Amino acid sequence: MSLTLLLLFAFVAGLLLLLAWALRGPRTQAKPGAISKSFESGDRLHVNSLPQIRQALDVADYEFLGQKGGTALQRRVRRERRGIALAYLSALRLEFEDLLRMARIIAGLSTEIVALQEFERVRLTAKFMWSFEMVRMKLLLGFVSLTQLDALSNLISGLSVRLEAAIKELGEHAALAAELASPPHRRGIGLT
Amino acid sequence: MTGLANSVLWTWGVSVAIQTVVCFVLFFKGYFRKLPFFTTFVATNICQAVFMYIIYVQFGVKSETAKWIIWLSEPAILILRTLATAELLSLILKPYRGIWGLVWRVMAVGFGGVLLYAVIESGRNIPWAIALAHRGFHLAFAVSLVAGLLLIRYYSISLQSLYKVILAGFCFYSCTAVLADTLGQWAILHGLGDFQTIWQFTIAAIYAGIQIAWAVELWKAAPSEESSPALLASSLYQQISPQINERLYAFNEQLSQFWRPRATRP
Repeated sequence: MSLTLLLLFAFVAGLLLLLAWALRGPRTQAKPGAISKSFESGDRLHVNSLPQIRQALDVADYEFLGQKGGTALQRRVRRERRGIALAYLSALRLEFEDLLRMARIIAGLSTEIVALQEFERVRLTAKFMWSFEMVRMKLLLGFVSLTQLDALSNLISGLSVRLEAAIKELGEHAALAAELASPPHRRGIGLT
Repeated sequence: MTGLANSVLWTWGVSVAIQTVVCFVLFFKGYFRKLPFFTTFVATNICQAVFMYIIYVQFGVKSETAKWIIWLSEPAILILRTLATAELLSLILKPYRGIWGLVWRVMAVGFGGVLLYAVIESGRNIPWAIALAHRGFHLAFAVSLVAGLLLIRYYSISLQSLYKVILAGFCFYSCTAVLADTLGQWAILHGLGDFQTIWQFTIAAIYAGIQIAWAVELWKAAPSEESSPALLASSLYQQISPQINERLYAFNEQLSQFWRPRATRP
């Protein structure tokens, strides 16, 4: 059997798998008012725990511990800080996903959407996921210097402040949209 | 009498019987009002099966005339299948006008692209032109339908189980047709037995299976009226969507800077 034939079979098998996945549908269905609830719960925003995270990643703190507590303590703290950085990175991902979800809701309720913007969002998501995994791997393997951890701390603080404002602002719009778009039998846009 | 193998004739008969049941359910439960193209597609399929039987009785299964007449009847079915699919997708996405606009464009591009490639390929290979065009149509149809369904999933739009089953049936049938056509061509080129019978049997059996799933689902479900959500003005989308993209872009920039090695200061 030729290679072309095998490739065609593989392609059709891939299509069938994609079909099955696409038809599985969203895990949960939207309930009226769920959109607004999703964004009203400000406690869920991980940016709220920013001061603690910054403290945990503070370089001066780390150096101080090294001087006073010795190498063993410094190493332990470094390990713990890495864990904190990882957890925070995951939290950032959740916030990224919040933004994406909001974008999808707004697109779903719009009378007109721009294909280029939608595809750009897909591209940005793929890029983010790739970078996220790279940074995560680097953190897991311990290939992150102290300066880089500091850079991550700055990254998080800079982004989070802007993101918090953005999520609140966009959340207000989305909540308004949800109020407008929640008649009793509205078929769902999945939210959670 | 027709020259068709008994197994094929039986499967064919069963398939036509089930199609008749599907057609009956469509009328009995009032789906024909909501799904006129789908109903026409099912009814035309039955008519085509009867027509094919008459042609085979008249000319015999090996006859070139019979082959050409049957191939000529095929485009009507393919067009109706496309219209029925478009009808279902437009019903699903009726409340989401913006997404429907995006989905049909993506599907049209996917369908047109693959079909164009298939037409060019069949033009290069005249003896197999019809078979290649037939396979190309089904491949284009499956690709565009899967693309449309992926977009529907991406936007987390729920699908009624009836629509899921009908669309899955269409897509599964097209994938089977692609594989059967490809294997058929390969078997004939390598002189492997009477592949026509196997081809006819496989296609008829799979189609009968799909019809059973449709009949069950049509019988279980009741035609319902969907209500549309109030949509937002497109200005809100125009305003917010670029902002979100900018923020996502900023996220990426920051993350990639973190990943890149930092330049050492002098």
